[in-house]
Amino acid sequence: MSCTSWAWLVLLFPLLGSIVIGLGFRALPAKTAGIIGTAAIGLAFACGVATLLCLLGEDPEARHHASSLWDYANAAGLDIKLGIFVDPLSVFMVLVVTGVSTLIHLYSFGYMQSDEGYRRFFSYLNFFVFSMLLLVLAGNFVLLIVGWAFVGFASYALISFWYRRGTATGAGMKAFVINVVGDIGLVLAAFLIFRELGSFDYETVFTKAPQVFSVNEWTITAICLLLLVGAFAKSAQLPLHTWLPDAMEGPTPVSALIHAATMVTAGVYLIARTHVLFDLAPTAADIAAFTGLATLLVAGTIALVMTDLKRAIAYSTMSQIGYMVVGVSIGAYSAGMFHLMTHAFFKALLFMVAGSIIAAMANRQNIDEMSGFGKAMRFTSAMLLIGGLALAAFPLTSGFFSKDEILAFAEARGGFYVIFTWLGYVGALLTAIYTFRLVFRILPGKACKEAQELIDTGHVVHAEPENPATGEVEDTDVGFPGSEHHIAEQSWPMKVAMGVLGFLALVGGLVQVPGVDDVIGKFLEPTFADSPLSHIHPTVGAEWEGLGIGGVISIVGIGIAYFLYVARPETPAMLIQRLRPAYTLFHNKWYFDELIDFLIVRPILGVGRFANRTFERLVVDGLVTGTAGTVRGAGGIVRLVQSGFVRSYALLLIAGFAGLALYFLIQSS
Amino acid sequence: MAIEWYVVLSSLIFAVGAMGILTRRSPIVILLCLELMLNAGNLALIAFSRMVGNQEGQVFALVVMVVAACEVVIGLGIIVAIFRRKLPLDVDELRELQG
Amino acid sequence: MIAAFHAPDIYYAGLSPVIALTVAICVVLLTAVFQPLRRTAPALTLIALATTAGLLIWQGGEEIDLVSGALRLDDLAIAISLIAVLSAAFAVLLSIREPAVEQAGSGEYHALLLGSVLGMALLAQAQNLVSLFVAIETLSIPLYILCATDLRRERSLEAGLKYLIIGSLGSATLLYGLAFLYGGSGSTDFAGIAAGIGQKGVTGDPLVLIGIALAAVGLAFKTSIAPFHQWTPDVYQGAPTPITGFMAVATKAAAFAVFVRFFDVALISEASEWQPALAVLAAASIVIGNVGALGQSSLKRLLGYSGIAQAGYILGGLVVASEAGVNALVFYLVAYAFMNFAAFAVVVARERETIYGDDIRAVQGLGAERPLLAWPLTISMLGLAGLPATAGFIGKLYLIEALVEGDYTWLAVFIAVGTMISLAYYLRVVAAMWMRPGGETSAAAPAIVGASPEADPIDPEAGRRMYLVAPALLAAAAVVIFGVIPQPLVEFAEHAGASLF
Repeated sequence: MSCTSWAWLVLLFPLLGSIVIGLGFRALPAKTAGIIGTAAIGLAFACGVATLLCLLGEDPEARHHASSLWDYANAAGLDIKLGIFVDPLSVFMVLVVTGVSTLIHLYSFGYMQSDEGYRRFFSYLNFFVFSMLLLVLAGNFVLLIVGWAFVGFASYALISFWYRRGTATGAGMKAFVINVVGDIGLVLAAFLIFRELGSFDYETVFTKAPQVFSVNEWTITAICLLLLVGAFAKSAQLPLHTWLPDAMEGPTPVSALIHAATMVTAGVYLIARTHVLFDLAPTAADIAAFTGLATLLVAGTIALVMTDLKRAIAYSTMSQIGYMVVGVSIGAYSAGMFHLMTHAFFKALLFMVAGSIIAAMANRQNIDEMSGFGKAMRFTSAMLLIGGLALAAFPLTSGFFSKDEILAFAEARGGFYVIFTWLGYVGALLTAIYTFRLVFRILPGKACKEAQELIDTGHVVHAEPENPATGEVEDTDVGFPGSEHHIAEQSWPMKVAMGVLGFLALVGGLVQVPGVDDVIGKFLEPTFADSPLSHIHPTVGAEWEGLGIGGVISIVGIGIAYFLYVARPETPAMLIQRLRPAYTLFHNKWYFDELIDFLIVRPILGVGRFANRTFERLVVDGLVTGTAGTVRGAGGIVRLVQSGFVRSYALLLIAGFAGLALYFLIQSS
Repeated sequence: MAIEWYVVLSSLIFAVGAMGILTRRSPIVILLCLELMLNAGNLALIAFSRMVGNQEGQVFALVVMVVAACEVVIGLGIIVAIFRRKLPLDVDELRELQG
Repeated sequence: MIAAFHAPDIYYAGLSPVIALTVAICVVLLTAVFQPLRRTAPALTLIALATTAGLLIWQGGEEIDLVSGALRLDDLAIAISLIAVLSAAFAVLLSIREPAVEQAGSGEYHALLLGSVLGMALLAQAQNLVSLFVAIETLSIPLYILCATDLRRERSLEAGLKYLIIGSLGSATLLYGLAFLYGGSGSTDFAGIAAGIGQKGVTGDPLVLIGIALAAVGLAFKTSIAPFHQWTPDVYQGAPTPITGFMAVATKAAAFAVFVRFFDVALISEASEWQPALAVLAAASIVIGNVGALGQSSLKRLLGYSGIAQAGYILGGLVVASEAGVNALVFYLVAYAFMNFAAFAVVVARERETIYGDDIRAVQGLGAERPLLAWPLTISMLGLAGLPATAGFIGKLYLIEALVEGDYTWLAVFIAVGTMISLAYYLRVVAAMWMRPGGETSAAAPAIVGASPEADPIDPEAGRRMYLVAPALLAAAAVVIFGVIPQPLVEFAEHAGASLF
């Protein structure tokens, strides 16, 4: 079979899985649905491996294939095929996505067992993986947009999975709306590309772009900036990031899948895929890099003061994606992808751990209430430690090698890019501190009552079901989380999934030890060979130097966290007192939500209120007596004018004619 | 007389008809005003036909007369139906549909 | 001297669809006269529509002038006429057991429907000012009556009267504009107008300019373009729902067809004059339609406002005055037709089943209760919002491409932003269906105390009736199929566009 046939199979299995479970969900027993779902992704992973092997069997130069099923739209000038593009970058992403997704499906198999919507969950999850694979394998911009929109829609379905919770549906909407903003940017960029280059096809576009555009022409810069709008919305970078923390309303496997390994990496993939265009618009690339840097730091500071476990991990994700964005924007393509892979491992692991702990806490998520789990849940605690070490880039873990490779590249590039290295190290320090803040809060110390319950009886404590954010009482019917809570120690699928990820988080970095091997770099080389930045290589010595500094920072960060949270636990309270303004800023997430409310939501409501009072009195009363309609932002004005009086309709018609006629007469004279 | 005056007359009639629609409340009077407007168009057509020199405008005007008659029939039918339902024959009163 | 009478050249094959419809009107009207035949009116209408569709398809590929150049039969006309015929068939299915039909009399109702279709078919073929005017009136006058047919409801009568008044105002304006154009160019034939204006040049000729403005107003009124849109939400809400479904699709299709023919053929030489103005109207429609739909609780009104926004998108295809634009316009009209069919079928079913009429509460919990109705409405809403894998997405793609190519990128941005705003109300309907528990549906506890004469009897099985479910499912299936394999529809649209340029 050719490489592309395997790739089509990769797409087929998750789609089939989703449809089968979706259609048969009343008939299928729950466990079967789970098995079908997991198997579907597992098969997709196997096909991904087959594609990889097929590619490896070819010359590095020949490793790019396009294949299409049928003509999507073939009209005057428009030639879009339903086609995929198989090359090292897409195969790499396919493997990461399907591999981590299989493990997450396995985890969900155990974790979501008592949930009434179990079958629906697996159907949605499969559909999400299908959409993500479509996005990654797409061979032209239109299919990319299709995959992009599907991913957004699937994430809406999954975030608001427990749909009877008002907070969940609100969060789902928010995520969807911000995603749509990104979609618009992407669509406009795609059409500008079509207008300038005449095609949507990747191969055509990337070959023609250097011929048609000169460096830093405003068109290509505009295209890249629009692409960035799309990328930042999906990857939760400033300023389109507000949806990510709220998205933690979804079940934990959803957070692990969407917000660790797949959806948020779509933006990074986009920048890497369109690197040819970004090479032609260095200004846009720099803007991307600085935004990534800003996100990295801001998210790191917020994570320092978050008390909700999942939200803290969410901000950590935002911060790490910032690293990846920096990486692919400054030219460290394979380093950025490498970090994407290791991050998928340890972040998914951390979310799985969070799920286990939250289950032990009877669905409560506040870390201030957690302590002493080190004794109560040994396996989970070990996994938390491994994940935390990898995230903090402790020497020899996977995170250690990947993060520092990006920073070493920045230094090697020289010029003002060394800012990225220094501030990147500051971010690494923050990462270590906030990660181990979590570890030292949860693991050691006197057991909290939930942990005590586990140690004494071996059972998870029971509590009234309630919404962790608002405290509202719930039940356990469809639309709410299930009645039983599953912790890793009691569920073998969860154990296996976490174990595998833990192993990968520890040793996954060994494929890119500087001076020893360069597996990922060499594999991805054909894709990025056409970039002028791919020739920059830090020397082995410089890389080890970077690694050394990174290791030291990591250990120092862990030490500071130890000091603050274990040795002298009263220190944080004292620091908060001393640095109250800073604390408040971080605690309120840099007031981003308030800013958006102030800049966008309030003005719209204000216009509506103005319309209701002034416009109505002056205009409507003055011409035709009428009554007011309701007000909801600008819609109020429209419905206001729709008064029901047929004479006012006639008036507007005549006024419209007068305006039009005057326009024509004035314009032509 | 210069043909332009007929066109001016027709636009005056058109304007009167439009004003009537805007200011009168009885549907029957509004129908009358609509007739005025259509006939203003007729007048314009005939005037232009003379100006341009071919007969197409006059044919058009004859056709419009037929159509206007149909429209009036329909309009009166609807007004009778409203009357039968004992609803007020006043366009300002009939505004249940709004927003 | 006796003048020799030369019989005109009648090309019967080309006129066959029109003849079929005319004959059908007479036959169906006869059923109203003969009591025993009363029940057969819907069936006869459907047969007539099928025949007309067959004749239209038979004429596919022709490009001829009929009736001495008053009508032109080409692929654009055939495409639009097919849309009108399909909409009518759909309306007939939805009108089965509709209270308005009983009020108005089955034969009369269906004859009027056929009359309106006749007007639409003529309008799509019109290329002369006289035939344009006659066709528009033939289209509209039956609709004025049909909107008012639910004689017991005050709303229906109000809708009919409003439509009549505003519609006639629009027609009178259109007529006056046509008169001026005739005067300015010397001909009533579109080609003649183009020649006449082209010779003189329009700049400085106030006659022609005012004529264009007036004609634009009249046509914009018919297609629900802002600021001439105000009749749309009211009339859509008040008219009987099958008629609303018919109007929403077919009137727009026919009106856009003549809009295209008029502006892109007759006035093409002055494109730079009217393009910016129409573009602004399109943008205004997109904004007003999307924003007005946001707070609506009545589904018919919501679909009315949404129709205004969609009309704005479609007008964009006209503004660029290119073949790509016309292709996109026709494609989107067909997609829009299917999406609306599905939505309206579900609204009719729920209207009859529940006490909520067309309020959004009528579709709450539909996902659990009637999945066969919930899925078509979901697909329809998502398609109107432009989600990929629906025909609506491809349509929008096509329109945006035509706009960008035609140097109207700012209008494409409006379409994108409008789509974003529209998601808010489309998703609200989807969420109501799948994420809310069902409302009180049966008449066990009559909510209307002292049952007013306006209350209809509840038909709790309405959501299972084949004549409602089947059209909904088929339309939704079409939306999805053309969203995944759009090529056949793209070719169909290309034929239509190519016949014009």
